[in-house]
Amino acid sequence: MDQLKIEVKNLNFHYAGNVHALKNISLPVHENSVTALIGPSGCGKTTLLRCFNRMHDLYPKNRYEGEIVLDNVNILSGDVDVIDLRSRVGMVFQKPTPFPMSIFDNIAYGLKLKGVTKRSDLSEKVETALRQSALWNEVKDKLGASAYELSGGQQQRLVIARALAVKPEVLLFDEPTSALDPISTAKIEELAINLKEEVTIIIVTHNMQQAARMSDWTGFLMLGELIEFGKTDKIFTAPSEKLTEDYVTGRFG
Amino acid sequence: MMTREQVRKTEGYIALLLCTLAALGGLFWLVFILGDVLVNGIKALSPALFLNDPAPPGVEGGGLRNAFIGQLMITVFATLIGVPVGVLGGTFLAEYARGRRIARVISVLSDIMVSVPSIVIGTFIYAVLVKPVGHFNGWAGAVALAIIMIPVVLRTTENMLALVPWTLREAAFALGAPYYKVITQVVYRGAAAGILTGVLLSIARVAGETAPLLFTSFNNSFFSLNMKGPIASLTVTIFQYAMGPYDDWHAQAWAAAFIITVFILILTIVGRALIKWRYR
Repeated sequence: MDQLKIEVKNLNFHYAGNVHALKNISLPVHENSVTALIGPSGCGKTTLLRCFNRMHDLYPKNRYEGEIVLDNVNILSGDVDVIDLRSRVGMVFQKPTPFPMSIFDNIAYGLKLKGVTKRSDLSEKVETALRQSALWNEVKDKLGASAYELSGGQQQRLVIARALAVKPEVLLFDEPTSALDPISTAKIEELAINLKEEVTIIIVTHNMQQAARMSDWTGFLMLGELIEFGKTDKIFTAPSEKLTEDYVTGRFG
Repeated sequence: MMTREQVRKTEGYIALLLCTLAALGGLFWLVFILGDVLVNGIKALSPALFLNDPAPPGVEGGGLRNAFIGQLMITVFATLIGVPVGVLGGTFLAEYARGRRIARVISVLSDIMVSVPSIVIGTFIYAVLVKPVGHFNGWAGAVALAIIMIPVVLRTTENMLALVPWTLREAAFALGAPYYKVITQVVYRGAAAGILTGVLLSIARVAGETAPLLFTSFNNSFFSLNMKGPIASLTVTIFQYAMGPYDDWHAQAWAAAFIITVFILILTIVGRALIKWRYR
């Protein structure tokens, strides 16, 4: 259980134009656990999250320094295949991002990228993924329907299923419920907690109750620095830093 | 003496009157032209028009089969040349060159291209593809129309791709898709209706062109499928027949004008309907 999946070592990140967004961050990510990143807007939590699947590579002149070690390999090194990395480290975004295609094709998309072409394999894996994300019963009779016909909460579970279908080792959640109603939010939270049996989860959230409910470990960031990292119950009940205490008690942020 | 309010009101009425007159004036000629095409065109419609080739003046039963087929071939080949270049060019601007200086330069140039008089393009193609060959040919006509289409398709494609939310691309990247697959499998799907609209409108734009064909594919009184030689088209035929001295030529020119107007109307309506359907 307490195996380390990822270790961030002295990570510095600069956006194009020399904006120093992450300053000397080091933190462990434990396998089969939920790690929450919290902090006020602009603290760098999303920036940090997007380092784990090298999303920043999409934009020119972004620069990483330091290491992010995933299973003993530094994924920031130049010879890492980002396409392979991204199929191991999945991501779910703030707003649901279903593709303009059917429900089935949405889930099958990542599988097809990985070279699965046999219809029966696809069907089986699509079903497994939809069951995992607790969406199967709602969509099993309309797999051919457009993904846009689903509600926002269903769409978010759909993209989670899409990410799960390729069997990632790590799943990144970027404020996955901030655009959803409370019931959909509860479903997503429950889902994420169940998923940690199979994947390691890192979640960025604005909602401190959510972090407290879902996560095993919490990192508190401010102005690009990691102020405190530890067990979630400790961070929320007995933080060692004054800043953390002020933030989790709602004094600012 | 009028009060200031009365003066202002009167000025307001005069402005309204002038605007209404201008609108009616424009509308009158539009309705007049369309009505004329409609009345004279429908009168001259007959099966022979589509099934037969031109007969000598005075002989009954002549048609414009050669021009219909010629027009179709030129337009289809123009579409086959112009659409891929336009779509790929638009893709380059919206995706690979997004935000770069070169994208803005090409966009502006392309907007200028849209308003270049088509006769200029016709004479240019004449110099490049007709003069060296020594005779008018269908390919030159298709290329001339394609060049008119390209900026239209390119700009629509660019605009439609830019409307696809960036997060959709990131979601595809996050699954480990390479950029070309993100574009072809996700982004194009999101923009398909819009791009198709651009293509239809660009076909409508070139279907009524005469000047560029006059210099390139010219005309042919006989049925021909040979794109290497002169080939008939509806627009050039209308031009020639309308200038001619014979009544049945005039009637056929009306019919051809009617057909082409209806064709463009349908394309435009389908194009607009697609836009509405996409953004409802």
